[in-house]
Amino acid sequence: MIGNLLFYVLYPISRYLAFRLSEASKKDLPPAVVNGTAVWDGGAVTTRRLFQSQTSLLDQWLSPRSGTTGETEERMKEPSPEKEEDTGPGADEEQLLAVLHGDTENEAASEMSEVQPAAKEKEAETINGPQEEGPKEEDTDMTNHHEMLHTMQSTDDGLICQTEVINPERELGAQLECLQMEDSAKVTTYPVLKNEGLPNSEDLVTPAETSIQETSGQVQEQIQIPSVKESRTPAKAPIEQTECWDEYISISADGMHGGESSELPLASLLSNSQIHLDLSRDTQTGWHFPAGPGLTEEVLCPLWQFPAMSYYPPIEPAVPFEVTWRVWEDVDESASAAEPALIPIPFTKASMDFTVMSYNILADDLLEANQDLYTHCPLEVLDWSYRCSLLLEEILKWSPDILCLQEVQENHYHEQLCPVLSQMGYTCVYKRRTGTKTDGCATCYRSSRFSEVSVTPLEFFRPDTELLDRHNVGIVVLLRPAVTRGSEIKTMGPPLCVANTHLLFNPRRGDVKLTQLAVLLAEIDKVVKSCKARGEHCNLIMCGDFNSLPYTPLYQLITTGELYYQGLSAWMVSGQEDLSDKAYCHRLFAPLWPSCLEITDNCQYATVEDEMKSPSQERGKSQYRHDFMQQLRFCPAACVRPKDLELIPGVTDSTPDASKENHTYDKRFRLTVTHRLDLESVYKHILPGSGNPEVTTLHAEAGATVDYIFYTPRRISPTVDKGDGDFEREGLKLIGSLSLLSEDVLWSMRGLPNHIFPSDHLSLLAKFQLELNVP
Amino acid sequence: MTQVFFHFAVCFPTKSSLKDDDSGDHDQDQGSPKDSEKEKTEDEDKEQNSSKKKMVVPGAGEHPLQYNYTFWYSRRTPGRPASTQSYEQNIKQIGSFASVEQFWRFYSHMIRPGDLTGHSDFHLFKEGIKPMWEDDANKMGGKWIIRLRKGLASRCWENLILAMLGEQFMVGEEICGAVVSVRFQEDIISIWNKTASDQATTARIRDTLRRVLNLPPNTIMEYKTHTDSIKYVLISYIKTCRIVSV
Repeated sequence: MIGNLLFYVLYPISRYLAFRLSEASKKDLPPAVVNGTAVWDGGAVTTRRLFQSQTSLLDQWLSPRSGTTGETEERMKEPSPEKEEDTGPGADEEQLLAVLHGDTENEAASEMSEVQPAAKEKEAETINGPQEEGPKEEDTDMTNHHEMLHTMQSTDDGLICQTEVINPERELGAQLECLQMEDSAKVTTYPVLKNEGLPNSEDLVTPAETSIQETSGQVQEQIQIPSVKESRTPAKAPIEQTECWDEYISISADGMHGGESSELPLASLLSNSQIHLDLSRDTQTGWHFPAGPGLTEEVLCPLWQFPAMSYYPPIEPAVPFEVTWRVWEDVDESASAAEPALIPIPFTKASMDFTVMSYNILADDLLEANQDLYTHCPLEVLDWSYRCSLLLEEILKWSPDILCLQEVQENHYHEQLCPVLSQMGYTCVYKRRTGTKTDGCATCYRSSRFSEVSVTPLEFFRPDTELLDRHNVGIVVLLRPAVTRGSEIKTMGPPLCVANTHLLFNPRRGDVKLTQLAVLLAEIDKVVKSCKARGEHCNLIMCGDFNSLPYTPLYQLITTGELYYQGLSAWMVSGQEDLSDKAYCHRLFAPLWPSCLEITDNCQYATVEDEMKSPSQERGKSQYRHDFMQQLRFCPAACVRPKDLELIPGVTDSTPDASKENHTYDKRFRLTVTHRLDLESVYKHILPGSGNPEVTTLHAEAGATVDYIFYTPRRISPTVDKGDGDFEREGLKLIGSLSLLSEDVLWSMRGLPNHIFPSDHLSLLAKFQLELNVP
Repeated sequence: MTQVFFHFAVCFPTKSSLKDDDSGDHDQDQGSPKDSEKEKTEDEDKEQNSSKKKMVVPGAGEHPLQYNYTFWYSRRTPGRPASTQSYEQNIKQIGSFASVEQFWRFYSHMIRPGDLTGHSDFHLFKEGIKPMWEDDANKMGGKWIIRLRKGLASRCWENLILAMLGEQFMVGEEICGAVVSVRFQEDIISIWNKTASDQATTARIRDTLRRVLNLPPNTIMEYKTHTDSIKYVLISYIKTCRIVSV
């Protein structure tokens, strides 16, 4: 949408450029190229829509500059590299590379031009010359310049990805180009990677990967450098990482990082962002931007330099990928993006935006235990300390208000995650799995935005129930939005129930998964009812790793509130594997779970507790729901004929017969499991554009969506006569989410975990809007 | 209105033997006092009997009910004129229970209403309340009546009493009991409450009924106060007498 919009904005620019180009008449440009440029530009701006002004600046800046036709011309070319490759010889590629490089210069320079008059650009250009061609001076400004470049590249990458998702190969091509861009910028004359024919994704990425591997060790070291000062000069690589990240994210993140770098345990991570801030300030105040030498010169530069030999510390090229691949997507039309700005709605209404992240972070012990799932990974990306730093960076980057983690290893939680997250302003709740497994779930929320009402750790293990002999857990937290006014934190608005779980993995035991889910739903239901008893509507977030695919019966139960399960094969419940060929096929039959669980077919606790009853008159009563009573129907005690029962033929001469009753009994109650929570998935499980399935997890065998964020969507109900009318806008409004990736894209990054994504799952991130009632 | 004309007349409302008008059966074979018909004198005897009885208690580990309940069964003996059968003679106490398990113990050994033969009723009332208008708990009360085509009674009855036992009506102590009446062409289920004039309560009962019974959409529900029922019986009695005299 925005892309299109910007396309039309930028199209004239590209036309203009094309015109200049043809004037220069260095080469003939097919119109398609022009078109491509426009598209490309559009994407670029999309990712940086905060800098709209740049566009115009770019425009202004480009026109005087058009004399240096080389760049401009190349600029025209670069968007359609693949096409050229198809037809053209290797020269095209070189050209392309140069083009890309040139373009990033353009972009960077344009940014600079925001604060500097065009006159300075000349100067910048001259500086760039020496840098690119030969001796690498010890000049931090230079490095800064590179960072700048990379920043620009990363944003550009974002757009490329966005606009070209349709074709994975093209995507790869784009990705590769990004790499090339980086390399060329960094080492000046990084060898041109051959794109010819774009044979397959693996091949394409390999060169890039190699360099990643070469550099990663160093990067790791650098990340751990505690001192801000130190890291500033030698540890450029991590700095650049964060820069790229942060450059891309919203401004809010910046603000948050501000004062935190002083904390030592955090320093290694936070210093990065701190530096980023400094650097970006530098950017604003204006340092020299070296524009490159002529394109031809560049192309003719020496062909190969090993990254290690470069003066410039190798830049971890992977990070821009993150930016590249995962794009923030607003749900509604662009109008909704602007909405947060006008938070105080007239009258007494106000809204609050908050973000929720769900992330299975792959416990180290589980990784060790299932090493065969990760044979495709370079060893260093499996190292916990490395993964942990990536993970914390990712959290820091997005700084979600609510963070639901799964597979959090207990010692890691206590030693690393909890301390760091606490320093980042989170309050954390942890629930370790029962049994011998060392991991568990953690739910963290930003204390400045939510206050805690209640916390319920849930254990799905029940020693007395064979069906629940698995050691999975969940956490249900009831929060209340808080608003900081001056020094005091004030709670306001409707409560928010956040449930976080990691259901059983075993693909064959759908029955266990369903029952575990029922326990979770019953607990949520209880919380919702307790809110209702206080006259409040409770919004829900239910997220985690459900180990079930989209549109499978378990998913269906969550999203539609109903599942007819009689005769269903257990493996089908989650759909993780097709086990239909297995000889033994366990099927589901009523009752799905035993009555001793005291959970009804409605996924509610059988014995309604006091607080759920209507407050006035019903306290202390023994209430039982229909389905609960039905479950006791054929319990042993009920099958004994009462002694005092007179035998009246045709009246009291019946005998209990469970089998008969099962058949004749109304199916509505016995073969269906339901719940009354209104839940919808944030993700739609299909990537927009390409139509490829989204993937939230990937290991050696397959990729799939098994992680979800479910929420209670805002529905406008016409029949609200509940009284105070406070609830007319109950529910959560989904504002945006971080896009997921498709399986082939992930494989192009050598699967998961990799140098960007520290787990075998991707993080899920969504932004919601909540109605507050200002007192 | 049609009902009035088809209604079978009580020929002889002796003493307090009042006709339960909503039996709604269109069979005109015999006159008979029905569900709530009885004689006061015998009432009092019964009352004493039941008060002498020990209250049932839930067994260990069982799920206690909020109230104890008693099953009753009544049947009009075929072939004998109704007038000669007292309500009290026809109604039998089956047993009382205090927990969900005990309830099932009785229920599972009883024939389901849909399988009953003849002119029969099951009553399920709170222990101590007799299924009669004259009981103190019922005097000021009324009932919701739902007429069902044949084949639905078993399921609806079960849903109704499970909701009642499980305290799903949420009207405090208002509920007295429930009745299912098996008739020739249709079956009737009804739920009795204490205070007919309490409209909030009766509305709530109606709404809960709709929800728990899963009734066909065109089902008609009507509320009758017991005093109305008495009047109605008298009216129909008078009408019948006219018809007879004609």
